[in-house]
Amino acid sequence: MTTFTELLLNGLSMGSVYALIALGFVVIFRATEVVNFAHASLLLAGGYITASLHDDLGFWPALLVGIAGAAVVGAAVEFLVMRRYRGTDHSVLAIVTIGVDILLTTELTRRLGTDVLPLGDPWGDDVLTVGPISLAHTRIAAFAAAALLITVFLLAFRYTSWGVAMRAAAESPETAALMGVRLGRVSLGAWAVAGALAAVAALFLTVFPTPGLERATSLAALKAFPAAILGGLDSTTGALVGGLVVGVTESLATGYQSELTFLGRGLGDLAPYLVMTVILLIRPAGLFGTKELARV
Amino acid sequence: MNALTRATAATTALAALLALSACSSKAKDGDDDGRTAGGVKTGEGISGKTINLGVLTDMTGVYATLGKSVTQAQQLYVDKTNKDGGICGHKLKLTVRDHGYDPQKAVAAYTELEPKVLGFAQFIGSPFVAAVKQRIDADKALVLPQAWSANLLGSPYVRVIGSTYDLETINAIDFLMKEKGLKKGDKLGHVYFEGDYGESALKGSEYMAEEAGLTVVEQKIKPTDNDMTAQVSALKKAGVKAVVISAGPRQAASLVGVAAAGRFDVPVIGNNSAFAPQLLATQSGPALQKNYYVASPTLPIGAETAAAEKLVADYKKAHPKDSLDNGVVAGWTAASVFGEALKKACEDKDLTRDGVDKALLTLDGFDSGFGVTQDFTDPKAPSSKESVILQPDKKATGGMKVVREPQAAKAAQGYSADQSPSGD
Amino acid sequence: MSDIRRTCVRAAAAVVLLALPFYLDRFWLQAGLFAMAAAIGAIGINLLTGATGQLSMGHAFFLAIGAYGYCVLAGDGGDGLTGLGLPTWLAAALAVALAGLAGGLFSPIAGRLRGAYLGIATLALIFIGQHVLFNAHDLTGGSNGRDVPPLNLFGLTFDESETVVAAVPFGSAEKLWYAGLVLLLACGLFARGVLRGRPGRAMNAIRDHRVAAGVIGVPVARYRAGVFVLSSMYAGLAGVLLALVFQRTVPDYFGMTLSLEYLAMIVIGGLGSVSGAVAGAALVSLLPQLLTRYSDALPLVSAPGTGGISPGEASRYLYGAAVVAVVLFLPGGLVRLTARRRGPTPDTPDDPATSVTPRTPRTPGTPGETA
Repeated sequence: MTTFTELLLNGLSMGSVYALIALGFVVIFRATEVVNFAHASLLLAGGYITASLHDDLGFWPALLVGIAGAAVVGAAVEFLVMRRYRGTDHSVLAIVTIGVDILLTTELTRRLGTDVLPLGDPWGDDVLTVGPISLAHTRIAAFAAAALLITVFLLAFRYTSWGVAMRAAAESPETAALMGVRLGRVSLGAWAVAGALAAVAALFLTVFPTPGLERATSLAALKAFPAAILGGLDSTTGALVGGLVVGVTESLATGYQSELTFLGRGLGDLAPYLVMTVILLIRPAGLFGTKELARV
Repeated sequence: MNALTRATAATTALAALLALSACSSKAKDGDDDGRTAGGVKTGEGISGKTINLGVLTDMTGVYATLGKSVTQAQQLYVDKTNKDGGICGHKLKLTVRDHGYDPQKAVAAYTELEPKVLGFAQFIGSPFVAAVKQRIDADKALVLPQAWSANLLGSPYVRVIGSTYDLETINAIDFLMKEKGLKKGDKLGHVYFEGDYGESALKGSEYMAEEAGLTVVEQKIKPTDNDMTAQVSALKKAGVKAVVISAGPRQAASLVGVAAAGRFDVPVIGNNSAFAPQLLATQSGPALQKNYYVASPTLPIGAETAAAEKLVADYKKAHPKDSLDNGVVAGWTAASVFGEALKKACEDKDLTRDGVDKALLTLDGFDSGFGVTQDFTDPKAPSSKESVILQPDKKATGGMKVVREPQAAKAAQGYSADQSPSGD
Repeated sequence: MSDIRRTCVRAAAAVVLLALPFYLDRFWLQAGLFAMAAAIGAIGINLLTGATGQLSMGHAFFLAIGAYGYCVLAGDGGDGLTGLGLPTWLAAALAVALAGLAGGLFSPIAGRLRGAYLGIATLALIFIGQHVLFNAHDLTGGSNGRDVPPLNLFGLTFDESETVVAAVPFGSAEKLWYAGLVLLLACGLFARGVLRGRPGRAMNAIRDHRVAAGVIGVPVARYRAGVFVLSSMYAGLAGVLLALVFQRTVPDYFGMTLSLEYLAMIVIGGLGSVSGAVAGAALVSLLPQLLTRYSDALPLVSAPGTGGISPGEASRYLYGAAVVAVVLFLPGGLVRLTARRRGPTPDTPDDPATSVTPRTPRTPGTPGETA
């Protein structure tokens, strides 16, 4: 039972970090209907900026610069690339983001080289112990930060003019444009928000118990794909639930791999995708996604 | 286009083809092997007064850290040898190809370099060595892989330097039993990478478990897993008394850090690829210095031997910004083994590929200055069965100090890599 | 361009391609073979993603089925791994069929999903594939992979045993070169036939507006499943050819990077066209080899480990930038370059111009394909 609780808590905490990344996907998808495969590089960019500045600025200012930096990178991708596309095929745009990702990731990994960079966070390797259960402070911080950010985001989405514009654009871009919503600004904002969320996620992916930021850190974004999809690509609630499902699945599949040997060992990576496939078989638009309505 | 034009086109094409092929440079025009220069027989890979050696490395992929250190150390060896007058009156020259751990690029790079070089002083990635193994056996160019998998043994042309991962794991567990209180009936955790490295090491721990009455609790991970929390939870639940980790440096750091933070106070020992000095600067640094050990095929770069101190000084001068890790030792050792084989081949007046292969087979007591004697007379066995046990130490050069001198466990001496038929 | 001139150009190209094995060394032949295999795979994914608009990131999985399927069916079990010992030509054909079958098995999922959902669902195939390749040791040989039995066709074995043709020794690369050319030509012609005929128009209709296509009488579900199977078979064949060139299959190769490379190929070359797939495949697979080989002579690119940009990185920059630049500035891909010079020709219904910019402008999401 102790092990189960520990695995569950760790899974929820990792899941909340995945939810932050998945939320970024969903925001971009809602605003522009593009699946952003360049998310991994936004994450790496945010982490890299934080890691290279924390010595000079201190951790918190460095983190703020990192978040802002990733937001700028996101906005720049939108402004310089996505906006210039004249066609309408969204799978072509998705492939363009793959090109962007290759460019950014190559540059960042070249800069990172073979280093493992600590981000200088204040939590260190402290651990909270309640009875037989121990949980790293970083994990609690991750959960708290993710919960806070997601709440703020959902409130902003509902009540601010930006949120209204964004929802209107997702509902019907033409009507929204006629009502005075600037679509360009909405999609620019979406990319910036996604970048910022990814930078926060980068922080929690590289703190203890992980040694630091390195070239493979960006691969965590791959776990946010099933999270975003199984929740429903156009649903913010879906991203949240999807993230948690993926985190818990991964943690349990790893922790209980000895009991699951008939499936082969090393299931942690695979399990989220299996869960996703099953969910998609039952609900092709994900748990909370909008079912397709067809008008001709 | 009608049928007639097509037919004409085809005929013209065929005629042109035959005409062209008549002057192909690839056409066989007598055998050019077996040249002799100054009484020494030479062949492929030697042009004029230069001996060309290939380096197939990974500087942009998952083994970038290793690849960079190994290659720079080998270049250092080549520069030094050339400054001292070369070998057999020839200069050495390395041609480096970075495959980024991509099988297609690795195979392509082998194909490109093979006709031009005498042999390969480095080949990273045992799956890729396996991929071209048939061709290596046909080409007969000596290959020194930077991988310590037992699957690579058995060919006279692919020679593993130092103990393989299975033997290293046996020696590591021997250390845990003799000095860290692991005893018969205990459970031993083994966290290992999916793939050749991890699975080769697992063979060692399985063998040792049988010999010494231990139970192995397996945890397989992937190179992309960086957070070992779930693994530690599982090992804790199973009640293991010690842990072996056959993974990368990051996984080792995470494992040791999580275990220490959760007051799961057991000794952890890793294979030689499971440590990098950069880790000492991370959050896990203190825990690593306390509870972590590394088994290695040679003494560390910071060893107190003349050769090590000289290498440290030279390497620091050539690459002041790069960290000194065990890749430097591995690269230096491999290059000097190749150099030694060349010198021997020169004495025998035969610098052909065959000559070098044969020369290496006669080396039975080679020491590159890192404490372990290498014996290359048996292609079926690794060149040594000994391992050194190291401990991370911030103050030591290269971040490691020796806690147990080179030795082979009794179980290791009786062990022979059970050659699975798939290996060849 | 007149018919005669085109015939001459084609004949010249054919002569050059046929003569190359007499001149090029093994490195270039092998690079060419990698490009041919890539071209076959790229044609397959272009049918699916380019012509029918079904984003697939799981192409590498089907390549793996082809490659490993061939080894399992043709292997004689002498290496301790499962092998059925079938004649190699039969094994190759069955491996392709097997890849098609796998595509068919996935189509219940593929048929229900659209756009991005399908793209990411196919990503699951990569993870499942990698897991199986590493763990099903008896079939795949695990991390070290397994040997590929050389192809034997009409008594001719495509292995290292040298056959001397016109005084030039023919090893496996030289022999496979011709096999590769024949396969690529057949695959290209077949795909072109599909694209230019009724099925091609139906596929484009599905891509441009799925619901509308259904309304005008295109059996959408059947076509989507059919294209998925066909594309998987192309991937399977590419896998078999790659395996024969590699002479050993290793699991690391069939990862996500490979799938992404295929997507990059068709975007760079030209979506929805056969020649585009071939051009893109040639560029993406030859670029890194060229840069590595001539790294000493190139400005900006430096030898690995000396700091600066290594050849591997340089080629990634170039092809990342190529994907972005082609989509933004050359919609339709590289094939548009020749098409533009030649001017619009009435006999090319697979003209990629129609594929990338559908005639009806559609702002994101408007016609309610997604709500």
